Amino acid sequence: MSTLRMAAKIARRELTGGLKGFRVFLACLALGVAAIAAIGIVRAGIEAGLEREGAAILGGDAAVQLTYRFAEPDERQWLEDTAVQVSEIADFRSMLVVDRDGQTERGLTQVKAVDDAYPIYGTVRLTPDMTLQDALANQDGIPGVVIDPVLVDRLGLSIGDAVRLGLQEFVLTALIDSAPDEAAGGFGLGPRTIVATEALEASGLLGAGTLFETEYRLKVSEDQDLTALRTAVEERFSDAGIRWRDRRNGAPGVSEFVDRLSAFLVLVGLTGLAVGGVGVAAAVRSYLDEKTTVIATLRSLGADARTIFLTYILQIGALALFGIAIGLVLGALIPILLTPTIEARLPVPAAIAIRPGPLLEAGLYGLLAAAIFTIWPLARTENVRPSALFRDTTGGADGSIRPIWILTTGALLIALVGLAAILSGLITLTLWAAGAILGAFIVLLVAADLIRRLSKRLSQTKTLRGAPTVRSAVGAIGGQAGETKSVIISLGLGLSVLAAVGQIDWNLRNAIAQDLPEVAPSYFVVDIQNDQLDGIRGLLAANPAVTDVQSAPMLRGVITMINDTPAEEVAGDHWVLQGDRGITYSALPNENTKITSGAWWEADYTGPPQISFATEEAMEMGLALGDTLTINVLGRDITAEITSFREVDFSTAGIGFILSMNPAALQGAPHTHIATIYADEAAEGQILRDIASAYPNITAIRVRDAIARVSEVLAGIAAAVTYGALATLITGGIVLIGTAAAGERARIYEGAILKTLGAPRRAILINFALRSAFLGLTAGIIAIFAGVLAGWAVTTFVMDTDFRVEPVSAFGIVAGGILVTVLTGLLFAWRPLSARPAQVLRARE
Amino acid sequence: MTAPIVSLTDVNLSLDGNAGRIDILKHIALDVTAGETVGLIGPSGSGKSSLLMLLGGLERATAGQVRVLDHDLTKMDEDALARFRRQYMGIVFQSFHLIPTMSALENVALPLELSGQSDAFERAEAELAAVGLDHRTGHYPSQMSGGEQQRVALARAAVVRPALLLADEPTGNLDETTGALIMDLLFDLRDRHGATLVLVTHARNLAERCDRVIRLRDGMIAPEAAAEAAE
Repeated sequence: MSTLRMAAKIARRELTGGLKGFRVFLACLALGVAAIAAIGIVRAGIEAGLEREGAAILGGDAAVQLTYRFAEPDERQWLEDTAVQVSEIADFRSMLVVDRDGQTERGLTQVKAVDDAYPIYGTVRLTPDMTLQDALANQDGIPGVVIDPVLVDRLGLSIGDAVRLGLQEFVLTALIDSAPDEAAGGFGLGPRTIVATEALEASGLLGAGTLFETEYRLKVSEDQDLTALRTAVEERFSDAGIRWRDRRNGAPGVSEFVDRLSAFLVLVGLTGLAVGGVGVAAAVRSYLDEKTTVIATLRSLGADARTIFLTYILQIGALALFGIAIGLVLGALIPILLTPTIEARLPVPAAIAIRPGPLLEAGLYGLLAAAIFTIWPLARTENVRPSALFRDTTGGADGSIRPIWILTTGALLIALVGLAAILSGLITLTLWAAGAILGAFIVLLVAADLIRRLSKRLSQTKTLRGAPTVRSAVGAIGGQAGETKSVIISLGLGLSVLAAVGQIDWNLRNAIAQDLPEVAPSYFVVDIQNDQLDGIRGLLAANPAVTDVQSAPMLRGVITMINDTPAEEVAGDHWVLQGDRGITYSALPNENTKITSGAWWEADYTGPPQISFATEEAMEMGLALGDTLTINVLGRDITAEITSFREVDFSTAGIGFILSMNPAALQGAPHTHIATIYADEAAEGQILRDIASAYPNITAIRVRDAIARVSEVLAGIAAAVTYGALATLITGGIVLIGTAAAGERARIYEGAILKTLGAPRRAILINFALRSAFLGLTAGIIAIFAGVLAGWAVTTFVMDTDFRVEPVSAFGIVAGGILVTVLTGLLFAWRPLSARPAQVLRARE
Repeated sequence: MTAPIVSLTDVNLSLDGNAGRIDILKHIALDVTAGETVGLIGPSGSGKSSLLMLLGGLERATAGQVRVLDHDLTKMDEDALARFRRQYMGIVFQSFHLIPTMSALENVALPLELSGQSDAFERAEAELAAVGLDHRTGHYPSQMSGGEQQRVALARAAVVRPALLLADEPTGNLDETTGALIMDLLFDLRDRHGATLVLVTHARNLAERCDRVIRLRDGMIAPEAAAEAAE
């Protein structure tokens, strides 16, 4: 009979003993796999939803976006000739104005100006129910407007009320319930308003140089090849700085965001699996300890080490598959059951369904994690000798393992990290996260060993003599290697993740909500026309509440080439290359400008165009002095040489341009000005009213509102990550419960001896509580260090902001650690306290 | 006649097992006087160890009265019994029952520490020296042989200078030579402290070292022993 068949036969017989000792094993694996599977199912659902609704989200089969301008007549004609149907959209920020009872109310809004063809796909749903064309049509000579209910509520509007955009009056005809193309809009600072483009002619809002984008949405015939069409469009508009999107990826920003967030959550899920791995390893070890006599008997009957190893790996493998299967079923069912809630909270369409891809991914992670954490204890079965039958049976499966198993574990670890890196697409982040988890694991392992040794030594010192409860609690920590390790690693790792999330979240909120407003301006004002700048400056200078006004000319452009090579080929997907950037010009450097290398141009310089570029971004993009950049500004390519680098601080929310050029380089290009107004908070309302009354076309963005909006988005992300961290902590809790349950027999025995020697139950209870508290305290303290370290690394290197230790959550983590371990310990203290010593001791005879 | 320090009156012990309720001890009546040594013998399952557990307050009688040193153990709660044991009793088990996470010295000092004795460790060291283990005080149970562990257990039982010393087959897990050594130590300790000793054993020759031998059969004191017990 082959070794495998023999092993399978023994394994099958052994498994009939039931799963009692494997509850924690199964729970740890199932929970970790379920969390990853659920994240994957939701991500796949969103991706499928975006793909299914791609054309509707995009507003057409394809879209060509222009910055700052409408298509020239010949360009428009070319698009008309190429597509079945073309719809023209203009998108910009503005202020919606309402005059009521002699008072003027204003609200920031994101305006979408549309033509009759909009929307090519889908329907804009309105209240009251009517078509968009009817809603936007003239009502007694005044054009109609439809507005997001949020803004309608904020301004206290009713259907039929008059509102203004720039100089143009509109009548509110309906509220927007939904628009098919809103998911692709991404992050907007103001609620949506839709008007007819032709109605804006007299508004003064779409003049040359004002900040707006146009999009030409194309409906194409079914057999038209979108790739070929894209090539044709890019050739036709090669010098126009256009951006292309098509229905295959209707909302690339949303898709990328969902991808990145879910990849990050999968990494948090993998931490959960690592925590669960501790429970898995402990369960396997405990099971094999109990099987030492069986293994020794098998060895004495002639079974070789290979047969023994196969026997138990088959058992553990079968159980691991069972645990993973439970996890996959849970991970698939939970999102399906919660579909209505998930879909209601998502701003994008989702088609949540059971898909094999995410389940396969989660199953693979579970399988690899189970293998990593079980090989080590399984390999120790090779050390069991038949002589274990005649000695203490718990000591058989200890000792070192052969190098082949260490190498196998290493290979599996590399496979797991590699798989996570490939599947998440976030290679650097995955490697850092894997390094952090491994580092934390090693630190916790070393700490557990150190604590054990220290406790053992402390219990033997004269200091604790006369305090038997404390001494025996400390001695127990020193004596129970397995329990000390399991508790400190599982709880420590879970709390570390939570501590890191707490530190990062707090520092991020702090940077946005507290640090920023101290130095940030009250308003950003955009779309200031050249002839309005002096007037605005004069108006603000007369207001004593205004402490400072800074302004700069502004254009927008897209960096298309670096040293005559397509920019993406040189600098990849750096954010500076994503879409258009603000560009300014200046004869002299600003008084706060700090040139880090190179030299600013002469004030009257009129030679070939020169650029001063932001130092940090230049380093990230690999730019050097003397490099040339080709920037498409309003369809015109300008190639300029980088002659200086300068520091640009975006953290203060002041004016900061990546690109500044010499004035002659941009001569003649239509542009507007941007201004920042620094003023007392109490005066902000009046300043807005003054500016908007005098200059209806310009848009003022209140920085506090923008910060609140950003904070809101970040709060959502932080909540998602916190849920992930909590899943890790729950796994840690299960491991704790498993550890406490595994130690219950030993505690019952210890309690019986202590009672026999005269210890009252109170003293025994305090003893158990103390050792739990010590372990919880240790895990909590290590978690704070690990969390603060991770928080510092992410805050400093990823978010590029200052880091401060947040004490409240840190101490909360320690308190939580103690509370969780003490409660778990006490949960399993009842039986040791109530057991009769006689029965316990006689059972051991 | 000296007043008994142990007095059992019509004691019954029944326990719930997998096969239902089992009567372990039936109508036990027994007096033991101060300083006396009593050997309890009988076949396996006759109730010897259960009787010893009742005397130690580790098991509760289902009926009857168990009086030790003028205290009615059947009326005391768990904590009162624990305090009573640490003050008056020393117990030695067949399987030693040392706390595995404590060194020999810590195991021996523990009952004194629980009583709040400030010289617990000095007395524990002296007691370990008395059983010949003064060189093994820092060792843990897992680092010692069975005989050494039982010697630690003896020292732990003797360290409180008990009025009543209970030993449940203390040589059951040991070889003959080591067993004999342990028995010598047990009687030596009993002599040094003048304690009353109740010894449970399978071996008739060991029991015969006691002043009196009581035979148990089917949970009852056997007639010849009953007569001897009543003397």
